[in-house]
Amino acid sequence: MNNKISSGVKAVGLGLFFEKESVLAIADFQLGYEEHLHKKGFLIPRFNFKKIKQMLKKMFQKTGKLKKIIINGDLKHEFGSVSEQEWKEVIEILRFIQKNCEKIVLVKGNHDNFLKPVAKWENLKIVDEFFLGKILFVHGHKIPKKSLLKKSETIVIAHEHPAIVLSEGIKSEKFKCFLKGKFKEKELIVLPSMNFVAEGTDVLNDRLLSPFLKQAELKEFEAWLFEEKPYYFGKLKQIE
Amino acid sequence: MSIKFQTEKYSDKEIYSNLNPLLGEWFYKKFKTFTEPQRYAVLNIHKNKNTLISAPTGTGKTLSAFSAILSELITLSEHEQLEDRIYCIYISPLRALSRDIEKNLNEPLKEIKKQAKKKNKKINIRIGVRTGDTTVSERAKMAKKPPHILITTPESLAILLNAPKFRENLFKAKWVIIDEIHALAENKRGVHLSLSLERLQHHNPDFCRIGLSATISPLENVANFLVGMEKDKPRNCNIVNVQFLKNLDIKVLSPLPDLINTTQEQISKKLYEKLDKLIQKHKTTLVFTNTRAATERVVNHLKEKFSKNYLSNIGAHHSSVSREKRLEIEDKLKQGKLKACVSSTSLELGIDIGYIDLVLLLGSPKSISRALQRIGRSGHKLHDTIKGRLIVLDRDDLIECSVLLKNAKESHIDRIHIPENCLDVLAQQIYGIAIAQQIKEKDVLKIVKGSYCYKELPKSDFNEVLEYLSGEYSELEVRHVYAKIWRDKETKMIGKRGKLARVIYMTNIGTIPDEARIKVKIKDAVLGTIDEHFLERMKPGDVFVLGGEKYEFRYTRGNTLQVKAAEFRPPTVPSWVSEMLPLSFDLANEIQKFRFLLNEKFELKKSKKEIIKFINDYLYCDKNAAEAVYNYFNEQFLFAKIPHSKKLLVEQIKDETGNHLIFHSLYGRRVNDVLSRAFAWIFSKSVHRDVAITINDNGFVLSADTALPFEKALNAILKEDIEKIAKFSIRDSEVLKRRFRHCAARSLMILRNYKGRTKSVGRQQMSSRLLLLSVYGISEDFPILKEARREVLEDLMDINSAKKVIESIKDGKIKIEKIFSETPSPFAFNVYAFGRFDLVRMENRLEFIKRMHQKVLNKIENK
Repeated sequence: MNNKISSGVKAVGLGLFFEKESVLAIADFQLGYEEHLHKKGFLIPRFNFKKIKQMLKKMFQKTGKLKKIIINGDLKHEFGSVSEQEWKEVIEILRFIQKNCEKIVLVKGNHDNFLKPVAKWENLKIVDEFFLGKILFVHGHKIPKKSLLKKSETIVIAHEHPAIVLSEGIKSEKFKCFLKGKFKEKELIVLPSMNFVAEGTDVLNDRLLSPFLKQAELKEFEAWLFEEKPYYFGKLKQIE
Repeated sequence: MSIKFQTEKYSDKEIYSNLNPLLGEWFYKKFKTFTEPQRYAVLNIHKNKNTLISAPTGTGKTLSAFSAILSELITLSEHEQLEDRIYCIYISPLRALSRDIEKNLNEPLKEIKKQAKKKNKKINIRIGVRTGDTTVSERAKMAKKPPHILITTPESLAILLNAPKFRENLFKAKWVIIDEIHALAENKRGVHLSLSLERLQHHNPDFCRIGLSATISPLENVANFLVGMEKDKPRNCNIVNVQFLKNLDIKVLSPLPDLINTTQEQISKKLYEKLDKLIQKHKTTLVFTNTRAATERVVNHLKEKFSKNYLSNIGAHHSSVSREKRLEIEDKLKQGKLKACVSSTSLELGIDIGYIDLVLLLGSPKSISRALQRIGRSGHKLHDTIKGRLIVLDRDDLIECSVLLKNAKESHIDRIHIPENCLDVLAQQIYGIAIAQQIKEKDVLKIVKGSYCYKELPKSDFNEVLEYLSGEYSELEVRHVYAKIWRDKETKMIGKRGKLARVIYMTNIGTIPDEARIKVKIKDAVLGTIDEHFLERMKPGDVFVLGGEKYEFRYTRGNTLQVKAAEFRPPTVPSWVSEMLPLSFDLANEIQKFRFLLNEKFELKKSKKEIIKFINDYLYCDKNAAEAVYNYFNEQFLFAKIPHSKKLLVEQIKDETGNHLIFHSLYGRRVNDVLSRAFAWIFSKSVHRDVAITINDNGFVLSADTALPFEKALNAILKEDIEKIAKFSIRDSEVLKRRFRHCAARSLMILRNYKGRTKSVGRQQMSSRLLLLSVYGISEDFPILKEARREVLEDLMDINSAKKVIESIKDGKIKIEKIFSETPSPFAFNVYAFGRFDLVRMENRLEFIKRMHQKVLNKIENK
């Protein structure tokens, strides 16, 4: 099966769906990424917000109404000043997600320091990490305390924005991907980013960001590449 | 108003009597008499007539432009009437040329000054150079005391047009000289310059335009490009055409009499022996190759195979070699210290390179004017003979070069393509206009339409560019981010917007695409640059050649690659992407015509002797070459059919690699690019399979793992609009993504320099695919997207000639004949066997990932 990531977990769109628990995990929207690009001289129109909403719609069609949606960090890109437009987008996305689930869990990422104003919302809580049974959700920019790791069997992280470049002759294309492998004898699953302005880190060639992956035996990780739906590509060492 | 060829030629007496006596005296001492271009041009310019001078290098072209101007300036200076302002603007595409010209003007001025002093006269004429290299203090000096003759580049001119005080200086200039106009007319730098000239014209309606050009055609169009339009008609221009002044000594040489029954090694061995022999027989030889990679290869091989002959007396000169290294090589050339210099295109243009007595062209230069331009680098004095040898490497090359030589001898030159209606360049210049002043939209349109390149610009395109510039494509709340100009819809005026506008404009001017180049360094010493694409294919430990030297890849950091010397290891030579020169459509048609004539002889069953005699006479070639051409055509005739100007042969082949259709469409790769993509697109829609394309100048191959229904596809193509199909076929292509990035930079949607930061093109920041996707979201007709499509179809490819071919098929002027072959026919051999590296697949991302997925699955299952 192309979309089965692990037992009881499958890929739906760019998210992880825990069917039995009726939970969906998604990450790294990086709303406002365009502003970051503007500062660098790329005066491209905003389209991340629109694309994310379309993607969420498709995902919800497949999952139906959910009990919980876990946003595993970095809802918004960068901290610092937030424009009115960006606020509007953040609120609208959260409202939209709210409509499709009973509860939102916002796991803090390295870019999420500004979220206080929404913390008072009903059915929404902001946490540093979250357990779904023995599954630990953390953003992945730092390794959590040992005590937490000990309690888990599976760890789900984001932060890395994993992607893989497929090339053949003069052609080469980059695809977002899910990764699964081992981190200190535990199962580690890496979520792709929901940011549509950038594909992400080429995990086979670029410098890695997450300390989890820096310490892991990456070649042994399995990959599911995403283009409209996931495709299983086996272990990373086979793709090279 | 009109453009006409100058027929009147003036005598020495007439010219001397009109020149300032001091200049005349100097001229007489130095040259005695005038050269052809001078006889036609000097008095014209004296009378302030717009003039285009087309003549080979070394025929006194520069002085034919400057004599009348210097004469007037000297007279003014003598009478102390010379004001502190710019009288003449000289524009050259090459910074290196600016220094040469400055020197070439200062020397005579110094001598004339001396002469004047003897007669108690004082002459003081200032020459100033303003390029990207000019320092801040030099610029400040210039602003205080402007030079009388300003030497500059197209980009610097555009900057000066927006320099608050300095621009006033330009508005009184009497003459503008554009050197090497042939090298500008065919690209966006020229388009950009044409608008700068119209901006100047708007403030300075009476200046005289002078263009200097190497051999080029059609001269009327280049003249029109030079002078622009006034009220929808070309302004006046006199064309001085002395293109064929010098004696041509050109020959086609083959390293072996038989190019087919030999191995690659043998050909290579003989080729280098021949090269060495020719180089050793001459004093200084300039070798042109068609790619930078080949340049490296040739230098490398000569050094290796004839190590006694070549040590420090040979050099590679191409655009990837660092500036310091290039300057070093140019200096060595000028001083006569080089036995041989190998170049790709970088030495085609006119910097003075000293005495060259032989030019070798390795492989076909693909167009007649390019061949003449390259060969014209030899014999740099008026009465020298131009000596060039075209060395062919296979039989197609032999025919191409032979037909090229015939046309060169008969003075038939291929026509250049001047880009029109480039919306990215337009956006940049309108931005500049708006920063300089508040102005009515209709006046802007008038300025723009003065340029030859925009004479037929649709009003709607103009409006769309204004909409883009004023941010009207974005929602109101965020418009401030995107709007570059102020636009008032009621008064229909535009103007400057925002404090940063000028800085952004001035630091991002230009049209040359900012390809990500990686600096190659040993510690802190820069050796040159390589393409980012090339870097992606290398790993630490790889050895490659740059500037004729071998280096080992150590590591990369940001945009630099650290290497170490690797003298004794075999290299993996750089493969620069897509820089193959395309065969010109006109030369292609000449070859087709030759094929037609020869086919007639074969069909009439003429004897071998008779046919060889015909080839001999027609191509001006020797017996060996004629025999080789005969054999090639004879094989094709016996094996299948000879395709020609009236017959397009299509071969269908099925072998273990799949089904192939080979199109013998000898129209050049720019046309074949369009035709092949259009056919492949139709096929991929009808058979729902992936179609692979292989192209070269002589034809293209479509391959698939299923039968390709040719007749059906042909009908579809003849029925539909080819342009529409072509547009669809490039929608997701690599080439459109890449070109869009360039267009986005030219139209200042992507800024290289922003808020004090300079950065590389930053593919890391945003991939070309997502960039393109971001504007697909706005509109399929977003002007910059439209421009990228136009650039791909009209400038990179040749949609207009492709349309002509399709029309001819419809009219029955070209008949299509399809045959089945077991193996490819001799004419198909090159494109079929060697073209593979050029493979493009007609599939989108989704099909690509599916196919790669299947590959991986097979691999997993086989384990």
